[in-house]
Amino acid sequence: MIIEGGIVYDPRNGILGEEMEISIEDGRVVEESRDGDKIDARGMLVMPGGLDAHAHIAGAKVNTGRIMRPEDGRRGTEARTKLLRPQTGYTVPNCYAIGYRYARLGYTTAFEAATPILEARNTHEELEEIPIVDKGALTLFGNNWEVLECVRDGDLGKLAAFVAWGLRASRGYGVKVVNPGGGEAWGFGGNVKGIDDPVPNFDVTPRQIIRGLMRANEALGLPHSVHLHTNNLGKPGNYETTLETLRAVEDIAASRDRQVLHVTHMQFSAYGGTGWRDFESKAPEIADYFNRHQQFTMDMGQLIFGSATTMTADAPLEYGNARLLKAKWSNHDIELEESSGVVPLVYGRKMPINAIQWAIGLELALLTEDPWQMIMTTDHPNGGPFVNYPEVVALLMSRPKREEELKTLHELASKRSSLPSIEREMGWNDIAIVTRAGPAKILGLEEKGHLGMGADGDVSIYDIDPEKVDPSKDHEKVKAALSRAKYTIKGGEVVVRNGELVAVPQGRTYWVEASVPEDEAAKVRADLVDKFAKYYSIQISNYMVQDAYVTSPRIVRAGVI
Amino acid sequence: MREIRIEPRRKFLVPVEAEGISPDVLAPLTLEEIGRIEVWEGNRRSVLSDLFALSGDDVPGEAADARILLSGDFSRVKRIGEKMTSGMIEAGGDVGMHAGNGMAGGEIEIAGRAGDWLGREMRGGKINVSGDAGDYVGAGYRGESCGMRGGEIRIEGSAGDYLGEHLCGGKITVLGDAGDFPGIANRGGVIVIGGNAHLPGAEMASGAITVFGRARVLPSYQYQETVEIDGQSLKKFLGDLVDGGKGELYVASMEA
Repeated sequence: MIIEGGIVYDPRNGILGEEMEISIEDGRVVEESRDGDKIDARGMLVMPGGLDAHAHIAGAKVNTGRIMRPEDGRRGTEARTKLLRPQTGYTVPNCYAIGYRYARLGYTTAFEAATPILEARNTHEELEEIPIVDKGALTLFGNNWEVLECVRDGDLGKLAAFVAWGLRASRGYGVKVVNPGGGEAWGFGGNVKGIDDPVPNFDVTPRQIIRGLMRANEALGLPHSVHLHTNNLGKPGNYETTLETLRAVEDIAASRDRQVLHVTHMQFSAYGGTGWRDFESKAPEIADYFNRHQQFTMDMGQLIFGSATTMTADAPLEYGNARLLKAKWSNHDIELEESSGVVPLVYGRKMPINAIQWAIGLELALLTEDPWQMIMTTDHPNGGPFVNYPEVVALLMSRPKREEELKTLHELASKRSSLPSIEREMGWNDIAIVTRAGPAKILGLEEKGHLGMGADGDVSIYDIDPEKVDPSKDHEKVKAALSRAKYTIKGGEVVVRNGELVAVPQGRTYWVEASVPEDEAAKVRADLVDKFAKYYSIQISNYMVQDAYVTSPRIVRAGVI
Repeated sequence: MREIRIEPRRKFLVPVEAEGISPDVLAPLTLEEIGRIEVWEGNRRSVLSDLFALSGDDVPGEAADARILLSGDFSRVKRIGEKMTSGMIEAGGDVGMHAGNGMAGGEIEIAGRAGDWLGREMRGGKINVSGDAGDYVGAGYRGESCGMRGGEIRIEGSAGDYLGEHLCGGKITVLGDAGDFPGIANRGGVIVIGGNAHLPGAEMASGAITVFGRARVLPSYQYQETVEIDGQSLKKFLGDLVDGGKGELYVASMEA
């Protein structure tokens, strides 16, 4: 297949809006294509396929959201066709809708952001049913008893061995840490108040957990860094915890050419104020810190007005949400590993807090100078559903659009944030980084997010001419074009043509197989035999996700030997 | 006023989903165009004219000037008048579930009996039922936090269970009896029941429920005083205290 005449943005290979041909053969970008298939992309925008590095798209909590929200299921229903299966839902779409909607946006890869090992089989059952996109799942480690004990004992070798085992057991891709220590404390109705607040019964602090897991992560040389949801997330004044956390790990070095820590959905961790009354943005402080510390990355967690379903392993946070909003609440204890919660809510333009939160996400993205450090997400469906990515891109590219939106919001969005004074408008190169090249680099996916030789043949083509359309003025056109890709090509196959799905292939699932010394692995096994015998509700022999649950794996190797 | 008459061609054995039967949809169309509107009979897609005989005035017009007359048995026809904003629907007999679903204006007059979910999530307009109505009148459908937000529903017969569940506004009047849990989770609507009711106002946060007949009152309601309404003396309660509610409940006669 040859894609001809398009204006290509491929930041990783230094291509900034050049007209060039792209050839794909056997699912990969090649010098020259043998077959004669041609796609005419003249006057169109061509980028690598979009990559979502943080979304909640599969697993027990997503299903809990679906069960709790039959009213959400009734939104966005589309009947089956000869090609497509039926679609339901807006914030918690069914599996098929997730794959179809990503493809329509020109996205070809999406990572599930939080899976407890105990529930990983559920995650993979759902990932298997999400069509088209390549996917993977990050595994939760931040409140696991084995982790807490290894950290307490200062046994880094055993911790690394457990992380490797946990990734294998869950067929997971990376180390996710959510409110470290807080999830365990929630088992006793408590929480941790900061990074030096000890976890009940374990005599370790969040600081030690984060440092321990980061060092284990780097010892194993995993493709992705630790992926952190900070302590005190969602609370006024939490930017201090966030900065304190980052300062606490400044001395740790990355083992690979990538960040040493990814702080996720930063919008929820950049709050000032002593309470909700004097709640304000501290995005400039956070962005300033990132501008001076290139070893860290973050994603936006942009808020989208309207319906959202918050779902997180941060169970005490969800308890607070449910009480504050008198909303539906699901609370879940995951044995020795985590706790979690789900709360549906509505973000309102006239709600002062929501309006400021909206501004914070955009401030973070625009004030962070290096787009490779700040990638686009809505923390689907916590900040809002991923189908709104074109709206976020339009906001990043157009100051007039931001001003129009600000007029419809509660006035505090302008007073308690610096957004009105920010002039920066992202260009297409920046957008290609924050939606493609950046997420691929951060996740350590070598063959994704670019169109160089050997890259995956994942391409999105949008019906908008970057040389003619001024995104600042014509932001409506940007949003419309990005909402329905002209073509989405996945692994060399056209899956979307003129905004409609034309093929539904099965994507692959990435997971990381990390090797560790046998003596460390043996220590972990001995611990686990004891834990399963004493505490778990299931047998260790039924615990691991079997190969049958990952039918199209893409195994990435890492490890210390 | 333009009249559009619709009559089933046969008896339906499985439910028919006919959300197109609404002044907003039909008024701008000729009878021939109306006949081509999609309807589903069970899992079979067909068009309105396959299932119904259409007659009446053929000249398209405004919804506000349209009067849709339904004659025959519509008891298995669902979603009549869905999301209508103006105009009139008159049913000579029974209608099926979800009639007046989400309606914002206009009127629906039902001479027979109405199925479950009558006027669910209604925003405005009026519905009058001469016979009985089923369960969940004016309620929010599964998972919804708000049912009816405005408008008026009047039932001359009796209503089923969960009358006005999750009401956020509007008024429902039942001349006969109501079943179990009328006004459950009420958040600001008004319910008047002429006859008896069982356990009204569970989880009520605000709004008012009046029962002119006999009712069993939940123990989480606090007695206030005796008041006169329409020449009748009723006991006034506040609740539901389980949820810190400030709803008003008036009951003529207490069931032990």
